Amino acid sequence: MEYRKLKESEISSLESQGCYCADWASVMVSGPFQAANIHQVRFEGSVKLAAIDGMLATAGEAPTAAGLHACHIRDCDIRGPVYFSRLGRLQGYTVERDVRIENVDSLVVEGPTTFGNGVEIELLNEGGGREVPLFGRLSAQVAYLLASYRHEPEMINKLKGLIRDYCRSKESQTGLIGQGAGIRDVQAARNVHFGPHSRVSGALLLEEGTIASCAEDPAVVGEGVIARHFIILSGAHVGSGAILDKCLVGQGARIGKQLSAENSAFFANCEGFHSEAVSLFAGPYTVTHHRSSLLIAGMFSFFNAGSGTNQSNHMYKLGPLHQGWVERGCKTGSFSYMLWPCRVGAFSVVMDKHAANFDTADFPFSYITVEDGRSVLTPAMNLFTVGTKRDSEKWPRRDRRKDPDKLDLIHFDLFSPYITAKMIRSSEILQKLLEESPREQKYVLYKGASILRLMLKACRKYYQIALRKYFGEQLIKRLESRAPQGLADLRLALQPGETGAGEWADMAGMFAPVSVVRVVVESLKQGRIGSVEALRARLKAVFDNYNEYAWAWCAHALERETGIAIAAATKEQLLGLAEDWKTNTLKLNNMILKDAEKEFGQNSRIGFGADGDEETKETDFSMVRGDYENNEFVRTLLAENEATEQKATNWAAKLEQLFATP
Amino acid sequence: MERNEIKDRVLKVIAEVLDTEASLIGEDDNFVFDLGADSMQSLQLVAGFEEEFGIEMDEDKALEVQTVGSAVDFIAQYV
Repeated sequence: MEYRKLKESEISSLESQGCYCADWASVMVSGPFQAANIHQVRFEGSVKLAAIDGMLATAGEAPTAAGLHACHIRDCDIRGPVYFSRLGRLQGYTVERDVRIENVDSLVVEGPTTFGNGVEIELLNEGGGREVPLFGRLSAQVAYLLASYRHEPEMINKLKGLIRDYCRSKESQTGLIGQGAGIRDVQAARNVHFGPHSRVSGALLLEEGTIASCAEDPAVVGEGVIARHFIILSGAHVGSGAILDKCLVGQGARIGKQLSAENSAFFANCEGFHSEAVSLFAGPYTVTHHRSSLLIAGMFSFFNAGSGTNQSNHMYKLGPLHQGWVERGCKTGSFSYMLWPCRVGAFSVVMDKHAANFDTADFPFSYITVEDGRSVLTPAMNLFTVGTKRDSEKWPRRDRRKDPDKLDLIHFDLFSPYITAKMIRSSEILQKLLEESPREQKYVLYKGASILRLMLKACRKYYQIALRKYFGEQLIKRLESRAPQGLADLRLALQPGETGAGEWADMAGMFAPVSVVRVVVESLKQGRIGSVEALRARLKAVFDNYNEYAWAWCAHALERETGIAIAAATKEQLLGLAEDWKTNTLKLNNMILKDAEKEFGQNSRIGFGADGDEETKETDFSMVRGDYENNEFVRTLLAENEATEQKATNWAAKLEQLFATP
Repeated sequence: MERNEIKDRVLKVIAEVLDTEASLIGEDDNFVFDLGADSMQSLQLVAGFEEEFGIEMDEDKALEVQTVGSAVDFIAQYV
């Protein structure tokens, strides 16, 4: 863009319209400059102005004529038609076209600054040792490596080096207000990067931060927000009085209603309202909605905090050193309390106040309650509840991210190799405990939790139902994706690879074979990954290969558990697996339906039918809650049962046909 | 096994799991509404019956049983 000095006539026009500059020679203009669109503007330092004319094309806003009105602009480069009105001070910014700023006290860059990039936050452990640097490309998986792989100091150093490189690339004396951004009614912003199409309205104070944004998924910062040292990613909404210090707000996350958070990272699709968060690793879909809830020094994902959820992490000894690890899909009941350190197995429900440091990681889908002061674990109980089924189906539907470049890598499977391996292990543990426990014994102890001896056998049986469902489901999924045309084709389709056959990890939303993660870690250590983008690409490749890895795990686990070598399985074995899948899917679904039925039972009708008799109660209930038969969840599940039976029949016929076709 | 014997043993299990007196439990009592069994206790009852009678019941069918009398009849099919 070519710039020129203002003409005398233009200076005269500007001055006659209330504009002022001590040295007009420092104001350069380009294009069809229209002095008529500039009123009461004080220019200072070096200012570049591109064409300030035409109409602004800002999505969601009425068309507005470009212009600068009642502003103070210092050391800025304005690169296209913009609309500024009542802007107390704009300093140190490059402003792209179609930006609209109204009623703002000050937007100032006092560089050099990295706009929040590189600020270290103390995740998981307030006492330090697991610091994660904030940066604009921080994903849940990279944060997972940084926070939880401290046993790999060389990798951590290398990774932090890559992040430092990224942060250095962001260091600047000037900030950017990206194309189409809208900023209004803001008190003060200092050293803040405003991404394209970001919307900031009513914020009180923003300091040292980045609001990443894009046309497809603008980030929104709303009224009353106070944020210091932050990264807010595309599609995120931060509003209604949230107070953030040293925080990441991930893509599609919702933060507001006076939530206060420090040293915390909320990854994709998290929701934080009313509550307090400190040193919180909120993996994707972590949700805390209640005023009296505190999430502190914990790793969570797909988590739902009941009101009054609380944890403590220091016990008045050596300080706030302890951490909690709550695996994906957990919920806490109202006023539940966990004493860190503590680890909760995936998809579990924690109720009551626990004074024991338990580790139930081996037992997914559990209920953890308190009886007579002891933490009581009921394994597998949450396998067949309405909540688990509904949650697992709603998460993918509620992925709000519209940015084509999704940072967090998220697998939604309820039954994955990671979870299923846990169920195999838990079955073995339950069997061993059963064999070792005399009938007179009421409880058996396992890693700080007590299990009712009476439940050992039953819980093992419930895990086995899920396991049999999983194996058959994976077989059918594999057959569906490969569509074999004959026996040779079938053998080929079912042949598993080796990668993925071992242990798996849940990297804050992404399932991955540990062996593959180790390769990535080694690559980082040896400097073979040269940038944060290269690391992202490696992790994305792992993510994309999930189905192949998962099939390898499934095939090897199936052979270990049942002796069936899937690629060489007989027709009867495959038919048996499909039949097993059908039987156990129906069984599990029917148990969930029984749970749903309770929602329509007498207990659920308590409080219905104001000022009336039984008939009023029935009518009131039916008007508000509907009935079991017509409930959408119930109907969907019944339809799923029908589809399962049909699919099993179809695959039985197809397998017969495949075995008859060489 | 006679129905009465099954019933006595069923009542014993219920009394243990729900921490109540066997004499206070009636055949028509609903496990949830009358005896106050929660979800976990419902599973404990199934596990208790299985252990008491040395049987393995169909999980989803067992959860359909709602009253003490129907539990007795359901278990009678297995013993």
